[in-house]
Amino acid sequence: MKDPYEVLGVSRTASENEIKTAYRDLVKKYHPDNYANNPLADLASEKMKEINEAYDAIARARASSSAYQSGGSYQGGGSHSYNYGYQSSGASNPYAQVRSYINANQLDAADSMLNTAPTRDGEWYFLKGTIAYRRGWLDEARQHYQTACAMVPTNYEYQNALRTVQGGYTPYRQTNYQRSDMDEACNLCNALLCLNCLCGGCR
Amino acid sequence: MFGYVRPRRDLLDQAAFETYHAAYCGLCRALGKQFGFRARFLVNYDMTFLYLLRSSVAEPCGVRGCWCPARVCGRKSCILDDDGFGPVAACTVILSYEKLRDNVRDERFLRRLPFRLLTLLFRRAYQRASRMLPEFAALCARQLAALQELEAASSPSIDATADCFARIVSGCANDLRDPNQRRPMEQILYHTGRFLYLADALDDLKEDCAKNAYNPLRYRFSVTDGTLPQAELDYLSQLTDSSVNLAGAALELLPMHVHEDLLKNIIYLGFPAVFFAVKTGKFQARASLWNHRRHKTNTGEA
Repeated sequence: MKDPYEVLGVSRTASENEIKTAYRDLVKKYHPDNYANNPLADLASEKMKEINEAYDAIARARASSSAYQSGGSYQGGGSHSYNYGYQSSGASNPYAQVRSYINANQLDAADSMLNTAPTRDGEWYFLKGTIAYRRGWLDEARQHYQTACAMVPTNYEYQNALRTVQGGYTPYRQTNYQRSDMDEACNLCNALLCLNCLCGGCR
Repeated sequence: MFGYVRPRRDLLDQAAFETYHAAYCGLCRALGKQFGFRARFLVNYDMTFLYLLRSSVAEPCGVRGCWCPARVCGRKSCILDDDGFGPVAACTVILSYEKLRDNVRDERFLRRLPFRLLTLLFRRAYQRASRMLPEFAALCARQLAALQELEAASSPSIDATADCFARIVSGCANDLRDPNQRRPMEQILYHTGRFLYLADALDDLKEDCAKNAYNPLRYRFSVTDGTLPQAELDYLSQLTDSSVNLAGAALELLPMHVHEDLLKNIIYLGFPAVFFAVKTGKFQARASLWNHRRHKTNTGEA
């Protein structure tokens, strides 16, 4: 097993708070939500498992040497939340097989099965969009998700998928790699100017 | 299609910048060593990115001062990593050769001549490179043929056309054994290829419309006058942003040992900056022989 301190990216002498912060940042980065529908979701969930184990190992080691109070590791790790929950409905759902193909990353098989489906309902467009998204065909994925959402406006799963493909949600990106806008600097300048006027007015 | 992969230099620290240059010089040296002096002219920053990506999972390599033919006196520091540069140099030769061949196909008789001459000059290097990476050479030929078919049919799908090019780029990592390294790398390269294709298509849109040449954006958004309306431009920006995000998500899963700052800078900052420049018409590709802009078609190799 890897050195738990190395996994969390902290030194051996790090304080409890530092470890907790590092752990939380990593959980945020590799959270299953960030890798929803991503073909690399399995690697992300493995990483998550490794992080949890490292955190637990450090907590255990420290608890045995002192009274270390662990906050408990993140338990939602793994890929269950986005693994197409209702596969179990089995034969009653004609798309169950398509979903299991998608989960196994057999996109061609899923696609050809979908193409022979008799009806084109919201679910059909959603699955078609998911296949396109996994292939990296983002334009097509977006079109299909939009159709699915228009056909079944109440489905949360479809809306979530559309939101993901529309981007703008990039929690794994570290703050120092966020695009810098001039707005923040301008806001600061404005605030200082206002402050200056206010202070001046008080005299 | 070279020239779109660049770091934001103003946000790169000095040490990382020097590493970037040492990788560039190392690639040039490796090209010369493996494929003869003239192959050194094929060196470019896009393939430097490929090297940085591929070598990020390996142990760091030493840097040494090397003789540089473009420099009158003094030496330039370059990374010494023959094993790492080997496949990257071969990919560079194959992609450049395919690009020259494509230019030969696209140009009219007189303009075609210089490219024909260059393909003759690089033929042996190409043959050697395709012996080194037979699978990659075959993949290039296959995907380019598929792309030509789509172009001939005036395909309105930007996904299908970009896919042909993106698969070529992601093929640059298909010789890696460890799936934990190969899979994230393939996703990064796929979306890099997709980004390059879309950025190039947008950059060439005006020219292609004027010359009545194929451009996927023309058919996808029914453009007639060479400018994309603002709403469509925003939509395209969102598509490239999504690609950058997916490449970034894959990068975070890559077990990187070195070059992390450089790679993050190129993907998270360089790509959006390049696309913004293309969008506002301020992008200037490095003027070189290899950046020749096609006139008849807008195919997407390298």
